[in-house]
Amino acid sequence: MKAPALSFSKAPVKFRMPTSANLVPIRLDIEIDGQRFKDAFTWNPSDPDSEVVLFAKRTVKDLKLPPAFVTQIASSIQTQLAEFRSYEGQDMYSGEKIVPIKLDLRVNHTLIKDQFLWDMNNFESDPEEFARTFCKDLGIEDPEVGPAIAFAIREQLYEIATQSVASARESRISKKGRRGTEHATSSKSSGSALDLVKLFGYRSSVVRKRKDWDVYEPIVDHLSNEEVDALEAREDRNIR
Amino acid sequence: MATTISTTPVILQPPGPSTTEIEPDSETPSNPKQPQTQTPIKPDTPATATAVAIATPRPPDPPPSSDADIIHIPSYSRWFSWDNIHECEVRFLPEFFNSRSPSKNPKVYMHYRNSIVKQFREHQRQQPQAPSRKITFTDARKTLVGDVGSVRRVFDFLEAWGLINYSPSAQNKPLKWEDKDAKSSSSSSSQGAEAKAAAAAAAAAAAAAADSSAGPSKENSKVVCSGCKLVCSIACFACDKYDLTLCARCYVRGNYRVGVNSSDFRRVEISEDMKTDWTEKENLHLMEAILHYGDDWRRVAQHVGGRSEKECVAHFLKLPFGEEYLKHADSGEVDVKCNQMKDHVDAECRLESSGAPFPSKRLCLTPLADASNPIMAQAAFLSALAGVDVAEAAARAAVTSLSQVGLGANKEPQGSLAKITKLQEADVTPNGDTTGNASEGAFVEANSELQREELDVERGISRIAEVQMKEIQDKLVHFENLDMQMEKEWKQLEQMKNMLFVDQLTLLFHRRSAPKTDERMEQKSVRID
Repeated sequence: MKAPALSFSKAPVKFRMPTSANLVPIRLDIEIDGQRFKDAFTWNPSDPDSEVVLFAKRTVKDLKLPPAFVTQIASSIQTQLAEFRSYEGQDMYSGEKIVPIKLDLRVNHTLIKDQFLWDMNNFESDPEEFARTFCKDLGIEDPEVGPAIAFAIREQLYEIATQSVASARESRISKKGRRGTEHATSSKSSGSALDLVKLFGYRSSVVRKRKDWDVYEPIVDHLSNEEVDALEAREDRNIR
Repeated sequence: MATTISTTPVILQPPGPSTTEIEPDSETPSNPKQPQTQTPIKPDTPATATAVAIATPRPPDPPPSSDADIIHIPSYSRWFSWDNIHECEVRFLPEFFNSRSPSKNPKVYMHYRNSIVKQFREHQRQQPQAPSRKITFTDARKTLVGDVGSVRRVFDFLEAWGLINYSPSAQNKPLKWEDKDAKSSSSSSSQGAEAKAAAAAAAAAAAAAADSSAGPSKENSKVVCSGCKLVCSIACFACDKYDLTLCARCYVRGNYRVGVNSSDFRRVEISEDMKTDWTEKENLHLMEAILHYGDDWRRVAQHVGGRSEKECVAHFLKLPFGEEYLKHADSGEVDVKCNQMKDHVDAECRLESSGAPFPSKRLCLTPLADASNPIMAQAAFLSALAGVDVAEAAARAAVTSLSQVGLGANKEPQGSLAKITKLQEADVTPNGDTTGNASEGAFVEANSELQREELDVERGISRIAEVQMKEIQDKLVHFENLDMQMEKEWKQLEQMKNMLFVDQLTLLFHRRSAPKTDERMEQKSVRID
């Protein structure tokens, strides 16, 4: 039996986050006068723009930052939103696409490393739910970890989605039609997508090989204060 | 629905998701616990979206000693329960309930709401003695998975209803609903929220100004407002805690620092008019000048001589209404302004004094919140200046004199209108009589308009009431019919049951008395029938 419908490519879809909630991941990293403000959260792009300023003011007030942050935060959010919206009208390539998502983040005292596969065509997927289940299953008590995980997943999905928009555009431009999309599959987007034939073809099995177990297993580490400080110092050095 | 300024007692609620017990509205906190009731919104608790909640938390009794385990929430939030969603939540946060987006459903909403409330109560429990037991929005959204916009809306909703960040020891007033809507449209800073609450508090403060205005009045020294750096006159608001003095305008607009509460201010009267009473001559001069120059207060002050502009204005406003008449080229709009002011002040007084609602309340119920409309801002400013008693008295005098003039002039409206036009065209020499006639004319116009509007509104309301009554009647009739039908069917059913019973009996007897004689059978059947 031939491997069914592996090179079947659907009509291109309009760009959107491949999750059930069309939310944009926003990352803030602002430095004013030596004060650094890092943050990451999800934003609903259908909220009116007045919300951005309100949110910025609220955050500055809550965290007691100097008021110069308000405009910076607001403009940063708006830039990222505008970027998202610029992708929005365009087509997104949507063939078979199962991508690996890697988690490698540190939230307060918890270090998380994980890797798993995610189906980009599943527009009902919900990173938030994944994060909730993750925290529950692994017994993570810090309530800030969940949103961080959801955000990381969303960010990666967003990147891959934008890449697929670019590739769809290219394939159209190159005017190779059918062949072009297939070509694109094998070259660009499958750089991130796995070779499905190998994985899910009729000759292999769905069960993962032993040597891949370590890679795909979630690792949660609770750090002590000194380790946290050490890591932070190293991060700062890397950034500089 | 009486819109009274009700004092809401504070409800003490012990923490815990599953066993929320609401204590009765009594002063002593140690009462036998009642089972939790899902109380629907009571009609007197002003919590519906249409009514306005002017909730003034009066200073409650000192909380009991076991403070850490008792949670305080205001009584208008007593509908809150961990496991249910109340209809006001549906109304205020419709995004979660209109299934427009698949990830926003009631379950998600409950999760957000419960986690925020839990977080606040945890926070409160951990720092029982901390001065500010509030959680910020950023704390909340950092721990919640989901988009920050909706988290913020849930947070604001909970904060407005006092379910989080509510400390009964402070005089913080929760935001009023108009304030919440106006907040998004106001272009003021994030202290707009405090300013609105301050403005709302100012309404209550003005209502209770009787107490505070009895405070010491300042000396003759000129007082400069720390907000707008102008000389304060008439009245100012002093805050001893932070050593601030604000003029009425700044106070109303909330033009002060973050962290300063509106209730920290007390009202201080500076009435320079009382120093030098206005003589009759000066009054006359004032009237003439206003007649001539209308809004040009500089020339009015010149004409009066010896009085500054502000004094003239202030005195003019304090005069009994009969003399408050402007006949100038643009007197029309000034009249309208005056009328609106009077209307507003009038209605405001009615609101405060009688408690029976005047139908077009939307203007008056938030007199100080909407400062964008210049006329309203003027009115708010003036009412804050003049104080409640004076405003009430002025309004009453206005109404009485209006009605008197109206009565007299209603008989011949045409004649007076003609007189008015004649007067308008001629160059009027200041004369007490002509002033009176012309003012009568204006009063007639204004009065008739007022009355017309009143009638319209009353008619509208009575029509609405009639329609509602008809509806109810129809429903009653319908239900009565249904009832009768049910009775009929019930009777039929009974009859059929009886017949069935009869048949069964006859059958039995037939069987048993088959060997017996026919007569007995007949007898029996006759009896049964």
